[in-house]
Amino acid sequence: MKNFFILLAMKILHLGLKIFGKNGGNFLGKIAYDWNPDIFRYFKIDCPIIAVTATNGKTMTNNAIVHVFKTAGKKVISNLEGNNMETGILSTLLKNCSLTGKIKADYLVFEVDEGYVPVIFKDLKLDTLVVLDFFRDQLDRNGEVESLILKINDFLKTYTGNLVLNNDDPNVARLGAANPENHNVYYFSVEKYAFATEDMKEAGEGKFCPFCNTRIKYEYYQYSHIGKFKCPNCNYGDNEIYQLATNVDLKNRTFSINDTTYQIRFNSIYNIYNFVAVVSCVSLYQIDTEIVQKALSTFVLNNGRLEEIEINGVPTIINLAKNPTGSNVSLRILNEDNDEKELLFVLNDNLADGRDVSWIWDINFEQLNHVSRIITSGTRAYDMAIRIKTAGYPIEKIEPYTDLHEAVQNFYHTDVKKYVIANYTSLQPTRTEILKLNRD
Amino acid sequence: MKELKILYLYPDILELYGDYGNIQVLCYRLEQRGFKAIVEPYSIGDTPPDFKSYDLVFAGGGADQEQGILAQDLIKYKDSIKEAIDNGTFFLLICGAYQLFGKYYKGVEGDIIPGLEVFNYYTEAIHDRKKRCIGNVVIEAELNGQKTKIIGFENHGGQTFDVATPFGNVLFGNGNKFGDTQEGFFMNNVIATYLHGPLLSKNPELTDFIIKYCLDRKYDEDIVLEHLNDDFENKCREILLDKFLGAM
Repeated sequence: MKNFFILLAMKILHLGLKIFGKNGGNFLGKIAYDWNPDIFRYFKIDCPIIAVTATNGKTMTNNAIVHVFKTAGKKVISNLEGNNMETGILSTLLKNCSLTGKIKADYLVFEVDEGYVPVIFKDLKLDTLVVLDFFRDQLDRNGEVESLILKINDFLKTYTGNLVLNNDDPNVARLGAANPENHNVYYFSVEKYAFATEDMKEAGEGKFCPFCNTRIKYEYYQYSHIGKFKCPNCNYGDNEIYQLATNVDLKNRTFSINDTTYQIRFNSIYNIYNFVAVVSCVSLYQIDTEIVQKALSTFVLNNGRLEEIEINGVPTIINLAKNPTGSNVSLRILNEDNDEKELLFVLNDNLADGRDVSWIWDINFEQLNHVSRIITSGTRAYDMAIRIKTAGYPIEKIEPYTDLHEAVQNFYHTDVKKYVIANYTSLQPTRTEILKLNRD
Repeated sequence: MKELKILYLYPDILELYGDYGNIQVLCYRLEQRGFKAIVEPYSIGDTPPDFKSYDLVFAGGGADQEQGILAQDLIKYKDSIKEAIDNGTFFLLICGAYQLFGKYYKGVEGDIIPGLEVFNYYTEAIHDRKKRCIGNVVIEAELNGQKTKIIGFENHGGQTFDVATPFGNVLFGNGNKFGDTQEGFFMNNVIATYLHGPLLSKNPELTDFIIKYCLDRKYDEDIVLEHLNDDFENKCREILLDKFLGAM
């Protein structure tokens, strides 16, 4: 009975919030979870539950999977706004269930914070888990990557659902061995692309084999520690590939899987990994290839994740980067573009960003391609300026402003193409400040 | 052209907190003044380095698991490292490297990773795995008789005891242990500290202190280093010191 009352209370609360025009975010879930942490058990769900987890690319991949299912005419419930901890998932369920806890949908698709997979899916039966990558991220908040991987690995020891894994990330591929009894493990991979390198260009993890401590050998690196690897001692990494992306063409924004070409709206190698994960996942649910093609060709995210806009006629690309790999991927896109451009990098050190900003020293600011000016902003604008200067970029072309409004005003003094990189808490304020210019 | 030879220990393993930035800052401040910086990396499997042939040896912090692997390798060089220190080579050791140069590191389960025993301090992990000293740090150190504020960021579970000669007094943050008044270890030509940041990026005075020490020793002189444009560093320090110490 208790759960019924919790649900009733949440429904009334939700209605109240709606009347006042509020979305609520994690709010409902927070109250319900504090009331009864076992409430997940109360929901009656008949459809498959799919979850996407990773350090980077959760929102992109999750929302693309949802878009594919919706294009196929399915009813999907998802946490599209990115509330990805237990309270966020719970809020999404509470908003979409009946008073008896029944949820009517064809699919539930969730992006889930790396640390919360074991918590949420202790009581919710997971049908498919997609794991994209693990990178160092806010070490002062999350701890080392290894402890995070071990937590998920423990959860997977008794898991028998579909497991879709990135075979080019040694931190991810290892999860396939967590439960030798699970025969539903699917590895995806991406063929070597034009800017792949023989040496690691960006800070990364996974240098030693998790099974025998031997140093892992790479044939090539796509970005960070993502690439074709194998343990020379125990062959770890040498898996049968379920879906392989080939003919990656970032200029024309296309790639192929099994002779089918997919047109996408994004132009980074890292997105190709997101989309081959999407194709791997939805193919487990027999979605027609033509529908997937159509869905991917129309999929965009307008929330500052590789968002392409024009501000008073000036082409602008905004991307979130909350860790070294995210930043380096953004700079890869910038460097693969031969046009002249200016960069705005906004760095905050608020609680949600992580107080430690030393990770900016893992960003490759060396050899920037045709960047004529760099503006830095955020609470740590000067830390960023020091970083860029030390990389050899001329001091006189660096302009730090702790005030974001001032930074954006000065950034748009010229009509040179703009690239914007902003970390977690700085992204939306930066975006708002930039979009304001269109209205002025 | 005057040059400094820098040995960078385990760059592929001790690189978790952007500590490589210290090498970049050293090189930058040397090259801006027309000096040459030669950085030679050493990691597991490489030819053993001749420690005393270097002017500066640097090592940073890494992930716990990987640190255990390299401790076994480093201990092979115990004697030549001692010799280099006695000989005057400057050692800058951050976090994990700081711990490894002491007597031992005692893990949560009581397991002991033997250190190089170059210095007498020792480190013990705190029992609660979730408890770590994490946050911004400001200490006051004395460099060539001048008191200087040093800014950095600490992130360590290990608590270091029996430090005879600390690097500085804590003005903000924890230091060698939770709520400690002292941070790091400092003796003639060795600075060992928990401060990331990277340390040298926010402390140009400290960087120049190290550079001057190395040049004076190598070329037997009393060099006056050319002034550099430190506008960004100065402003950065002003903002951070105000933020961390302003309310005190």
